[in-house]
Amino acid sequence: MAKHPVLGYLVWAVLFGALFAWEGLALSHLSGAVPTLSATFRLITRYPVGRWALFALWLWFGWHIFIRGWHFLLRA
Amino acid sequence: MIGAASATSGSVIRQDLVPITTGYVLLMGTLAAGLVRQRRDRAVAAGHSAEPGIAAPGRRAWLRLIGHMAGTFTGGYLVLMAIVVAYYFGVARVSGNFLESAVTGCALLLGLSAPLFLAASWLAERRDRRRDRRGAHPPSSGPADAGRQADPPRCRNLITGVRPG
Repeated sequence: MAKHPVLGYLVWAVLFGALFAWEGLALSHLSGAVPTLSATFRLITRYPVGRWALFALWLWFGWHIFIRGWHFLLRA
Repeated sequence: MIGAASATSGSVIRQDLVPITTGYVLLMGTLAAGLVRQRRDRAVAAGHSAEPGIAAPGRRAWLRLIGHMAGTFTGGYLVLMAIVVAYYFGVARVSGNFLESAVTGCALLLGLSAPLFLAASWLAERRDRRRDRRGAHPPSSGPADAGRQADPPRCRNLITGVRPG
Protein backbone atom coordinates (compact mmCIF):
# COMPACT_ATOMS: atom_id res chain seq x y z
CA MET A 1 0.00 0.00 0.00
CA ALA A 2 1.42 3.35 -0.99
CA LYS A 3 2.20 5.77 1.77
CA HIS A 4 -0.07 8.80 1.67
CA PRO A 5 1.32 12.28 2.26
CA VAL A 6 -0.99 13.05 5.17
CA LEU A 7 0.41 16.54 5.66
CA GLY A 8 -0.34 17.40 2.03
CA TYR A 9 -3.94 16.24 2.36
CA LEU A 10 -4.23 18.18 5.60
CA VAL A 11 -3.08 21.38 3.89
CA TRP A 12 -5.70 20.91 1.16
CA ALA A 13 -8.39 20.23 3.77
CA VAL A 14 -7.45 23.38 5.71
CA LEU A 15 -7.42 25.48 2.54
CA PHE A 16 -10.86 24.30 1.43
CA GLY A 17 -12.19 24.57 4.98
CA ALA A 18 -10.97 28.16 5.16
CA LEU A 19 -12.59 28.93 1.81
CA PHE A 20 -15.99 27.65 2.90
CA ALA A 21 -15.69 29.29 6.32
CA TRP A 22 -14.92 32.62 4.63
CA GLU A 23 -17.90 32.23 2.30
CA GLY A 24 -20.14 31.31 5.24
CA LEU A 25 -19.03 34.43 7.08
CA ALA A 26 -19.79 36.54 4.00
CA LEU A 27 -23.24 35.00 3.54
CA SER A 28 -24.14 35.49 7.18
CA HIS A 29 -23.72 39.25 6.82
CA LEU A 30 -22.07 39.34 10.25
CA SER A 31 -19.40 41.50 8.76
CA GLY A 32 -20.46 43.80 5.94
CA ALA A 33 -16.87 44.09 4.76
CA VAL A 34 -16.58 40.46 3.63
CA PRO A 35 -17.63 40.00 0.00
CA THR A 36 -19.22 36.69 -1.03
CA LEU A 37 -17.66 34.43 -3.62
CA SER A 38 -20.33 35.41 -6.13
CA ALA A 39 -19.69 39.12 -5.50
CA THR A 40 -16.00 38.52 -6.08
CA PHE A 41 -16.67 36.63 -9.30
CA ARG A 42 -19.04 39.39 -10.41
CA LEU A 43 -16.28 41.92 -9.91
CA ILE A 44 -13.75 39.79 -11.78
CA THR A 45 -16.10 39.05 -14.69
CA ARG A 46 -16.81 42.74 -15.17
CA TYR A 47 -13.56 42.98 -17.11
CA PRO A 48 -12.66 40.96 -20.22
CA VAL A 49 -9.27 39.94 -18.86
CA GLY A 50 -10.91 38.64 -15.68
CA ARG A 51 -13.42 36.64 -17.72
CA TRP A 52 -10.61 35.16 -19.83
CA ALA A 53 -8.64 34.18 -16.72
CA LEU A 54 -11.64 32.56 -15.05
CA PHE A 55 -12.62 30.75 -18.21
CA ALA A 56 -9.04 29.54 -18.68
CA LEU A 57 -9.14 28.20 -15.11
CA TRP A 58 -12.43 26.42 -15.80
CA LEU A 59 -11.01 24.97 -19.01
CA TRP A 60 -7.84 23.81 -17.28
CA PHE A 61 -9.89 22.09 -14.58
CA GLY A 62 -12.13 20.37 -17.12
CA TRP A 63 -9.15 19.32 -19.20
CA HIS A 64 -7.48 17.70 -16.19
CA ILE A 65 -10.63 16.02 -14.89
CA PHE A 66 -12.20 14.76 -18.10
CA ILE A 67 -9.70 14.82 -20.95
CA ARG A 68 -6.12 14.27 -19.85
CA GLY A 69 -5.27 10.58 -20.05
CA TRP A 70 -8.80 9.80 -21.25
CA HIS A 71 -9.60 7.83 -18.12
CA PHE A 72 -12.75 9.81 -17.40
CA LEU A 73 -12.34 10.11 -13.64
CA LEU A 74 -11.09 6.54 -13.34
CA ARG A 75 -7.45 6.04 -12.55
CA ALA A 76 -7.35 2.32 -13.45
CA MET B 1 -8.78 -11.68 -10.95
CA ILE B 2 -12.23 -10.68 -9.78
CA GLY B 3 -10.80 -9.78 -6.40
CA ALA B 4 -8.21 -7.50 -8.01
CA ALA B 5 -10.87 -5.76 -10.11
CA SER B 6 -13.06 -5.31 -7.05
CA ALA B 7 -10.13 -3.87 -5.11
CA THR B 8 -9.36 -1.47 -7.98
CA SER B 9 -12.94 -0.23 -8.24
CA GLY B 10 -13.08 0.15 -4.45
CA SER B 11 -9.89 2.18 -4.56
CA VAL B 12 -11.24 4.31 -7.43
CA ILE B 13 -14.42 5.03 -5.52
CA ARG B 14 -12.51 5.87 -2.36
CA GLN B 15 -9.78 7.97 -3.98
CA ASP B 16 -11.58 9.66 -6.86
CA LEU B 17 -15.34 9.47 -6.70
CA VAL B 18 -15.89 10.32 -3.04
CA PRO B 19 -13.58 13.39 -2.91
CA ILE B 20 -14.89 14.77 -6.20
CA THR B 21 -18.54 14.22 -5.24
CA THR B 22 -17.98 15.73 -1.81
CA GLY B 23 -16.22 18.76 -3.26
CA TYR B 24 -18.90 19.19 -5.90
CA VAL B 25 -21.76 18.99 -3.37
CA LEU B 26 -20.01 21.44 -1.03
CA LEU B 27 -19.28 23.94 -3.81
CA MET B 28 -22.72 23.74 -5.36
CA GLY B 29 -24.38 23.95 -1.95
CA THR B 30 -22.44 27.09 -1.11
CA LEU B 31 -23.26 28.68 -4.46
CA ALA B 32 -26.94 27.75 -4.10
CA ALA B 33 -27.07 29.25 -0.62
CA GLY B 34 -25.51 32.43 -1.96
CA LEU B 35 -27.99 32.58 -4.83
CA VAL B 36 -30.98 32.08 -2.53
CA ARG B 37 -29.71 34.75 -0.19
CA GLN B 38 -29.09 37.17 -3.04
CA ARG B 39 -32.56 36.61 -4.51
CA ARG B 40 -34.20 37.08 -1.14
CA ASP B 41 -32.32 40.33 -0.57
CA ARG B 42 -33.26 41.58 -4.03
CA ALA B 43 -36.91 40.69 -3.51
CA VAL B 44 -37.00 42.49 -0.16
CA ALA B 45 -35.37 45.56 -1.73
CA ALA B 46 -37.88 45.55 -4.58
CA GLY B 47 -40.83 45.25 -2.24
CA HIS B 48 -42.21 42.01 -3.62
CA SER B 49 -41.09 38.42 -3.68
CA ALA B 50 -40.44 37.82 -7.35
CA GLU B 51 -38.11 39.10 -10.02
CA PRO B 52 -39.47 41.64 -12.48
CA GLY B 53 -40.63 40.27 -15.80
CA ILE B 54 -38.16 39.90 -18.61
CA ALA B 55 -39.36 40.72 -22.06
CA ALA B 56 -38.64 38.48 -25.00
CA PRO B 57 -35.08 39.10 -26.15
CA GLY B 58 -34.61 40.39 -29.65
CA ARG B 59 -32.32 39.10 -32.34
CA ARG B 60 -29.77 41.78 -31.55
CA ALA B 61 -29.65 40.76 -27.89
CA TRP B 62 -28.94 37.17 -28.83
CA LEU B 63 -26.23 38.27 -31.23
CA ARG B 64 -24.65 40.31 -28.48
CA LEU B 65 -24.79 37.38 -26.11
CA ILE B 66 -23.16 35.14 -28.70
CA GLY B 67 -20.48 37.77 -29.31
CA HIS B 68 -19.90 38.05 -25.56
CA MET B 69 -19.57 34.28 -25.30
CA ALA B 70 -17.28 34.02 -28.31
CA GLY B 71 -15.00 36.70 -26.88
CA THR B 72 -14.81 35.01 -23.49
CA PHE B 73 -14.29 31.54 -24.95
CA THR B 74 -11.60 32.66 -27.38
CA GLY B 75 -9.81 34.81 -24.82
CA GLY B 76 -9.89 32.09 -22.15
CA TYR B 77 -8.71 29.44 -24.57
CA LEU B 78 -5.80 31.59 -25.78
CA VAL B 79 -4.81 32.51 -22.21
CA LEU B 80 -4.72 28.84 -21.21
CA MET B 81 -2.78 27.85 -24.31
CA ALA B 82 -0.23 30.60 -23.65
CA ILE B 83 0.22 29.38 -20.06
CA VAL B 84 0.48 25.73 -21.11
CA VAL B 85 3.05 26.47 -23.82
CA ALA B 86 5.06 28.72 -21.47
CA TYR B 87 4.95 26.00 -18.80
CA TYR B 88 6.01 23.31 -21.24
CA PHE B 89 8.95 25.19 -22.74
CA GLY B 90 9.90 27.23 -19.69
CA VAL B 91 9.33 25.00 -16.67
CA ALA B 92 8.94 21.31 -17.40
CA ARG B 93 8.87 19.23 -20.57
CA VAL B 94 6.02 16.98 -19.56
CA SER B 95 6.19 13.59 -21.22
CA GLY B 96 3.51 12.20 -23.49
CA ASN B 97 1.20 14.20 -25.69
CA PHE B 98 0.88 17.06 -23.24
CA LEU B 99 0.69 19.94 -25.73
CA GLU B 100 -1.47 18.07 -28.22
CA SER B 101 -3.85 17.02 -25.46
CA ALA B 102 -4.10 20.61 -24.22
CA VAL B 103 -4.90 22.03 -27.66
CA THR B 104 -7.35 19.37 -28.81
CA GLY B 105 -8.83 18.50 -25.41
CA CYS B 106 -9.68 22.08 -24.53
CA ALA B 107 -11.07 22.64 -28.02
CA LEU B 108 -13.27 19.59 -27.50
CA LEU B 109 -14.49 20.94 -24.16
CA LEU B 110 -15.32 24.26 -25.84
CA GLY B 111 -17.16 22.51 -28.64
CA LEU B 112 -19.23 20.55 -26.15
CA SER B 113 -19.94 23.30 -23.67
CA ALA B 114 -20.78 26.20 -26.01
CA PRO B 115 -23.93 24.67 -27.56
CA LEU B 116 -25.08 23.39 -24.17
CA PHE B 117 -24.54 26.83 -22.67
CA LEU B 118 -26.55 28.53 -25.42
CA ALA B 119 -29.32 25.94 -25.17
CA ALA B 120 -29.53 26.39 -21.39
CA SER B 121 -29.72 30.18 -21.83
CA TRP B 122 -32.48 29.81 -24.40
CA LEU B 123 -34.45 27.46 -22.14
CA ALA B 124 -34.10 29.84 -19.19
CA GLU B 125 -35.38 32.74 -21.28
CA ARG B 126 -38.28 30.68 -22.52
CA ARG B 127 -39.21 29.62 -19.00
CA ASP B 128 -39.11 33.24 -17.78
CA ARG B 129 -41.27 34.43 -20.66
CA ARG B 130 -43.81 31.67 -20.06
CA ARG B 131 -43.96 32.53 -16.39
CA ASP B 132 -44.52 36.17 -17.30
CA ARG B 133 -47.30 35.30 -19.71
CA ARG B 134 -49.01 33.20 -17.07
CA GLY B 135 -49.03 36.23 -14.81
CA ALA B 136 -46.82 34.83 -12.10
CA HIS B 137 -45.42 38.29 -11.53
CA PRO B 138 -47.91 40.85 -10.27
CA PRO B 139 -48.09 44.12 -12.18
CA SER B 140 -45.84 46.76 -10.75
CA SER B 141 -46.97 50.06 -9.32
CA GLY B 142 -44.07 51.78 -7.59
CA PRO B 143 -41.60 54.21 -9.14
CA ALA B 144 -38.79 51.69 -8.88
CA ASP B 145 -40.78 49.27 -10.98
CA ALA B 146 -41.66 51.98 -13.47
CA GLY B 147 -38.00 52.69 -13.96
CA ARG B 148 -37.29 49.02 -14.41
CA GLN B 149 -40.04 48.61 -16.98
CA ALA B 150 -38.54 51.38 -19.04
CA ASP B 151 -35.46 49.23 -19.64
CA PRO B 152 -35.27 47.70 -23.11
CA PRO B 153 -35.85 43.98 -23.47
CA ARG B 154 -32.70 42.13 -22.59
CA CYS B 155 -31.50 38.63 -22.99
CA ARG B 156 -30.35 37.13 -19.72
CA ASN B 157 -27.63 34.57 -19.65
CA LEU B 158 -28.46 31.60 -17.43
CA ILE B 159 -25.14 31.16 -15.73
CA THR B 160 -23.38 34.49 -15.80
CA GLY B 161 -26.51 36.63 -15.48
CA VAL B 162 -25.18 38.84 -18.26
CA ARG B 163 -27.86 40.82 -20.02
CA PRO B 164 -26.30 42.15 -23.19
CA GLY B 165 -27.95 45.10 -24.80
